[in-house]
Amino acid sequence: MSNFRTRAKLKIGHQSKPAATLKPIVRNVVRDSRLMLAERPANAKLRAQEARKYTLNHLEELHSQLRESCKKNEITYHRTTSSEEACALISEIIGQRQRIAKSKSMVAEEIGLTNYLRKQNKEVFETDIGEYIVDIEGQGPSHVTAPAIHLDRHRIQNLLNQAGLNVPDNSPLTLSHAVRNTVSDFFQNVDVGITGANAVIASSGRIMIVENEGNVALGLSNPPIHIAVTGIEKVVQNEQAALDIAQVLAPSATAQPLTAYTHFVDTPSKNQERHLVFVDAGRTDILKDDRYREILLCIRCGACMNACPVYTAANGLSYGSPYMGPIGAVLSPLLWPESFSDLPDASSLCGRCSEVCPVGIPLHDMLLNLRADSAAKQAGKKLTEKIVWLSWSFIFSKPRLSQGFAWLTKKILRLFKNLRKQTPLDPRRMPRTKRSRDAEMLIPLFEKESIPSKKQTSNQPSSLLEQFRVQATEVGFKIENEATTHLEKCLVLKATGAIAATGSVVFVEKDPFLKKLMEASDVTIMLDKETIVEFPSDAENLIRANGNALIMTGASRTADIEKKIVRGIHGPQNISVIVK
Amino acid sequence: MAILRPEDISSSRRILEALGESVDEIKGYCCGQPAYNSGYRKEAQSVSRKMLRVTRPYETVVVPSGSCTSMVRTGIPKIFAGPRGLSITERTKAFFDFGEFVHSHPRLRELNFELTGTIAYHDSCHGRRELGITSKLIDLLEHINGLKLRRLPHEEECCGFGGAFTVKQPEVSVEIARTKLGEITETGAQILVSEDLSCLTHLQATAEGDGRKLETWTIAELLDRALNE
Ligand code: SF4
Repeated sequence: MSNFRTRAKLKIGHQSKPAATLKPIVRNVVRDSRLMLAERPANAKLRAQEARKYTLNHLEELHSQLRESCKKNEITYHRTTSSEEACALISEIIGQRQRIAKSKSMVAEEIGLTNYLRKQNKEVFETDIGEYIVDIEGQGPSHVTAPAIHLDRHRIQNLLNQAGLNVPDNSPLTLSHAVRNTVSDFFQNVDVGITGANAVIASSGRIMIVENEGNVALGLSNPPIHIAVTGIEKVVQNEQAALDIAQVLAPSATAQPLTAYTHFVDTPSKNQERHLVFVDAGRTDILKDDRYREILLCIRCGACMNACPVYTAANGLSYGSPYMGPIGAVLSPLLWPESFSDLPDASSLCGRCSEVCPVGIPLHDMLLNLRADSAAKQAGKKLTEKIVWLSWSFIFSKPRLSQGFAWLTKKILRLFKNLRKQTPLDPRRMPRTKRSRDAEMLIPLFEKESIPSKKQTSNQPSSLLEQFRVQATEVGFKIENEATTHLEKCLVLKATGAIAATGSVVFVEKDPFLKKLMEASDVTIMLDKETIVEFPSDAENLIRANGNALIMTGASRTADIEKKIVRGIHGPQNISVIVK
Repeated sequence: MAILRPEDISSSRRILEALGESVDEIKGYCCGQPAYNSGYRKEAQSVSRKMLRVTRPYETVVVPSGSCTSMVRTGIPKIFAGPRGLSITERTKAFFDFGEFVHSHPRLRELNFELTGTIAYHDSCHGRRELGITSKLIDLLEHINGLKLRRLPHEEECCGFGGAFTVKQPEVSVEIARTKLGEITETGAQILVSEDLSCLTHLQATAEGDGRKLETWTIAELLDRALNE
C-alpha cells in the first residue's frame, strides 16, 4: 500500500528539504523548455499529439505491421502480457550470459527487471550516470528523465565513495567522469545490452532511442545481444511520427534542441542479435476506458513533474512508484489499482501539468476522474467521508442551514483556534476574517526596483545554413570551411544531411558504423549545404534510406548531477563539421 | 466560500452598484466544487443544481471568488451529461468572475479609484489556467491611481491550497504555501491581493501560524477601499 503522505512528511520534515534541491532546477527547466519549444514549428505539439493519437487508434494494426517489418530487419519481436512474463522472457533470451549493461528504461523499472535478473545472479550494471547513482542509493529513480535529481553533489559524492569510486571532489564534472570511467570499463567485456525505446516504427521496424551520454550507443553496438524493452503503446506509424515526437521530447524533457544522439536502429550487425520486447501489463485495459486511454499518449518527457508544485515539495520518491509526479499519480493507480489509490490525492489540481504536457494529456481531469472512481469504489470503506459529503450536500441545499452552518463553523474554529494542535509542518490557524484598518500595511517594507523584463534576443538568422552554423556551434560542433586537422588522424564521415533549427547532423549507415563512431575521439563530418532542412520534422527524407540512422546533436554530455551540463561522456568529443 | 468573509460581499455589492447595476445577493448556495474535487460527483450535482435553479432568473451572475467561477464554467459542464448538460453549459455562460466582470464593464472608466500604497499580487491557478483572466485582472488593478503593484517572480505557481488537497496532504500543502510566502516577503509588500479567497485564506493561515505579518485582500476589498465617491 502506497502512502504518499507519510513519505512526503518525512522528506519535508528532513533538514534538507526536497524543494531546496529541486525548486531552482525545475524552474529553470520549465522556463527554458518553453523557450526551446517556441523555436519549433508552431504546430509542433499538435503534430506530436496527432502522431500519438494515431497509435492509440490503430494499435493492433500497427503491431501486426511491425511484426512483418521486424522479420525483414532480423529483429525478434516479442509481446508479453504481464511484468512477470516479460522478465521471464528476457531472462530466457539472456540464458547463460552474465554481464548485462542496462541503460535507462522506465518500463524496465516498471516490471522490476534489474531486481529480477539480479536474483538470478546476473551482473546487471546501470550505465546511465543518474541510474548508476540511484542504484547505489537503492531507492530507485525520482524522476523519469533525471533519476538522481533529488540528490545534491555532496550526497552523490558520498554514494560514489560508498561504491568504492574514491572521487576526490564533488564537482559535477569529477563525479560524472568518475561514473563514466567505471561504465566504460564495464563495456570492455559485456554480453548483453538492455535499452528502452522511445518509439518503434511500424512501417520500417526501426527502434528510436534518444540519449545524451552515449551509453545507449555502446549498448547497441558492443554486446552480442541487444534487447529493447518498452510498452506496447510505443509503436508509431512511420519515421515522420517518430520525428514529430522527438521534436518535442528533448525540449520538454531537458530544454535541449535534441538529445546528443537520436538513434534509429534496425538490422543488427553480423554477429549480433536484436530483440524487441513489448510489455502490456494492463495497457490494453486502460485503452478500453475512454476517460483514461489518453494517458497512453505519454512520451515520458517528465515536463509534468517539473511543473508540479506537489512533486517539487515532496520529491519523486514520495510517490513510491516507478512513475511519479502527475503522470505517476494517474498512471500508477491505473497500472496497479491495489497499490496507489492515494496518489490521485497528491495534487492541488493547479492544472499546470496539463498545460505543459507536450502531447496534451488532460492530466488534471484524469486525477478528478480517479478521485470519483475511488469515492465510488470505496463507498463502503470510506463511510465517514461519504457521510460528510452527504450531509454537506444536504446543508448546502438549504441556504438558511448553510449560512448558519458557516457561522457556526467559524465560531467553533475561532474557539478552537488556540486548541488546535499546531505542528511544525502544519502550523496553520483559522485566520482572522475581520478587516484590519492598519494603514501602515500599505507601506512596503522596502523600496524595490521593478524587475526589468528580459530583453528579447535572437534575430532569426536568415538562411538555413546560417541558422545551422549558429545552432551547431551552440551544441558544441566546430564548423569549418576547410579541414584544419589532418584528416588521417580522425574518423571522416559523410553526413546524409543536417537540421538547422537544432544544429544536428544526420547519418544513415550500415553497421558497424556506430561502433566505429564510439571508438573515435576526433571526428570530421562532411556536410553538403544543400541537404540542410529546417526542423526535425522535416528530416524524414534524410533518414528514410535503409540502415541505422543517427541524428547527432553535439557531443555526448550529461546533466544528471544538479542539472549541470558536463560534456565528454562516451564517444567522440572533438567533432568538426565541414560545410561545402 | 464568501460566507467566511462577509465584508467581501458588501464590497462587491458597493462596486457593482457604483457601476449602476442592481444587485441581489444570493446567499448560502454553493457551486459544488468541494465535493467535485473530492470525487463526490452526485453530491456536487445536487448542490450545484439548486444553485443554478435560484440564479436562473438573473441575467448575469457575478461570483466573488475565482475558483467558484471556474467550477461553474469548467467543472459543472463536466458533471451533467446529455441534453440537460448542454442547456446547463449554456447557462453557465451567464456566470462571471467579479474582477473580470468589473474589468469589462462599460462604465468602469467613469469610476475613480485611488489608493496610495504597495501590494503584492497572487494569481490564482483557476483564474490563470481555467478562466484565462490574468491580464484582465492586472489591467483592472492598474486602474487604481497611486497603487504600486508588485508581481511575484513565479506568479504561475500554485499556493498549495487545492481544496480537498489541503485536508488530505496538509504538510505538502503548507510546504508549498511557505515557498509562496517567502516570495511575497521578498517583494517588500505587506498586503497580498488576489481574486481567489481560498488561496488567500490558506496563505494567511500559514502566515499567521508561522508568525509572519501579512494581510490578504480580495480584489473586491481593494476596489472598495480605493473607490472615491
Ligand atoms: S504526461 Fe505529458 S508531460 Fe507528463 S511525462 Fe507524459 S508526456 Fe510528459
